[in-house]
Amino acid sequence: MFQITDIPRLLPEILLLVLALLVLGSDIFERWGRTPEAQLERVRSSASLTCIGLGLVFVIALLQSGYVFRLPDDVPANLFTNIIRNLQSGGPAGPTGAETLPPIIGAFATDHLTMIARLALIGAAFLTSLLCLDYRPNAHPAEFYALILFATAGMCLMAGATELVLAYLAVELTSIPLYILAGYFRNDARSAEAGMKYFLFGALSSGILLYGMSLAYGSAASAMAGAVTANDLTQLARIAELAGQGGAGGGVLTLGMLFVIAGVGYKIAVVPFHGWAPDVYQGAPTPITAFISTASKAAGFVLLLRLLVSAFPALAGSAALGPDLGGWTSLLALLALLTLLVGNLAALPQTSAKRLLAWSSVAQAGFMLLALVAWAAPQQFDRDQGVAALLYYLVVYTLTNLGAFGALAAVALAVGGDEIADLNGLARRHLPLAVLLTLCVLSLAGVPPLAGFFAKFYVFMAGWQAGAPWLVVVALATTVVSLYYYLRLLKAIFIEPPAENTPLTTPPGITAAVALAVAGIVVLGLFPNLVLNVFSRVQLVAGL
Amino acid sequence: MVPTAYYIILSAALFTIGVLGVLIRRNAIVVFMSVELMLNAANLALVAFARERLNVDGQVLVFFVITVAAAEVAVGLALLVAIFRTKNTADVDEVSTLKG
Repeated sequence: MFQITDIPRLLPEILLLVLALLVLGSDIFERWGRTPEAQLERVRSSASLTCIGLGLVFVIALLQSGYVFRLPDDVPANLFTNIIRNLQSGGPAGPTGAETLPPIIGAFATDHLTMIARLALIGAAFLTSLLCLDYRPNAHPAEFYALILFATAGMCLMAGATELVLAYLAVELTSIPLYILAGYFRNDARSAEAGMKYFLFGALSSGILLYGMSLAYGSAASAMAGAVTANDLTQLARIAELAGQGGAGGGVLTLGMLFVIAGVGYKIAVVPFHGWAPDVYQGAPTPITAFISTASKAAGFVLLLRLLVSAFPALAGSAALGPDLGGWTSLLALLALLTLLVGNLAALPQTSAKRLLAWSSVAQAGFMLLALVAWAAPQQFDRDQGVAALLYYLVVYTLTNLGAFGALAAVALAVGGDEIADLNGLARRHLPLAVLLTLCVLSLAGVPPLAGFFAKFYVFMAGWQAGAPWLVVVALATTVVSLYYYLRLLKAIFIEPPAENTPLTTPPGITAAVALAVAGIVVLGLFPNLVLNVFSRVQLVAGL
Repeated sequence: MVPTAYYIILSAALFTIGVLGVLIRRNAIVVFMSVELMLNAANLALVAFARERLNVDGQVLVFFVITVAAAEVAVGLALLVAIFRTKNTADVDEVSTLKG
């Protein structure tokens, strides 16, 4: 049953939707002039409203999570403490501070996994809106920012969905705004093409995902004897429970799982479902590329984790070479192998910096899959470590890629292109931006003491514990290969002579976003325990 | 009553035709139609499974899918119009300036 007390548990999503409507409304109800100054003012107002709003939502979500501060029980009640107490009772720790509440009507879990994903996703949206501050969307700027907010709300729902209907709707609520955003500059042939390709592949993938869901539902329905009166057959935990009772639905369930992996595989762009990613990442407006390649992928990974672990635990299998090889962990291990090889090798010959980073994002998904493979480990402790490694990698990767694409956006605005040659001599033309971009690139390559190194380290540990040392060896080898193309970027920045010697000017919004992201990478790299302590709480997740 | 397996076989056939249509046909409008076919194949399977056990969950999901599919096609057609204005073609192979 949905109760009125469940509303605080949904607060971040509700706030995101309200903010989106507010941004749209503020643009519609204002009488804007037709002069260029008025147009600029109009863009500024939507952009700053989005930025400030997202910042507030992030702070409220952080307060609700109780990760930085939890209100003690013996504080005297007044208006202020009551608000915080109500907020935190809807958080992942629940009203008592110890037990996680069951999912709302069995459909939406507000556990630690959802809360951490929410914070990462809202943070990514905040940085994206900072990147967009100095971008000029065309005629109707408010749409652009509202679509970012709708997509963010969809991603948060994706992260918490424990039921097929909600999962499908959340995937679509995320995807449809992103199709529009990728093709937003419709007079630019590259952007329109990116939007079209993203749409075609996205529609195909949601069809495949839905078919997988229908088969999973069908196997659950078939496993029941006689007429079904309870209406909980689309809940992931129920599907797993009914599959455990056996029956004729085994083959159908496996087929459904394959379709679900393929459908979500498109969203997270793993080989062989990556065909759209380089084109879309290159063609879309750069801040949107940053958003798609980080937040959308992170939400996809959390959804994949939840779907596989909650609905198909019996099919987990093993990733160790030998007679036991099978189940979805071995399938994910195979996908990880392909993704690592194809992503890293295809990045080598690229001449466009944006496309190089696009292929590097494909390759990074391979490392994240390694953390999911950890579910093959026999010990629950190792599985939990795998989930913590996945979350750490997701957060670090989100910050790093947002920083890298943000720096590219700044260069593209100043120089007018995003080829590697446009980065030539950046260190002489704008040293701070060159240093920030360098830190991002080094973190992507996994150079200590930046956060990217620890992210890779934990993921390799998880893969090793899962009994897949062969995969870890391949991942290590491809990491070395990846150094080559990352160093190509650094060579252009520091060694190549610049085309002109004039200093560059960069917009303040983008610089602030990139600086924030880099600060995050450095802090997480120096003090990984700050967040790992929080991430290890995910083991308390109900039904996971 | 027609056995559920027949519906599932029909839905698998429709789904296969849809996937092949998306992969093989080059006209964007036909590709959209093929995507619709895939979604409706899934809908048919959901309704068949739901009818077999007199359970409403699958049928509820179908209503949502129909609504979402309409929204999705609206966005797809808008993107197609944007492409058509610059390129004067609805052929998805012609839209390929991004490569590599």
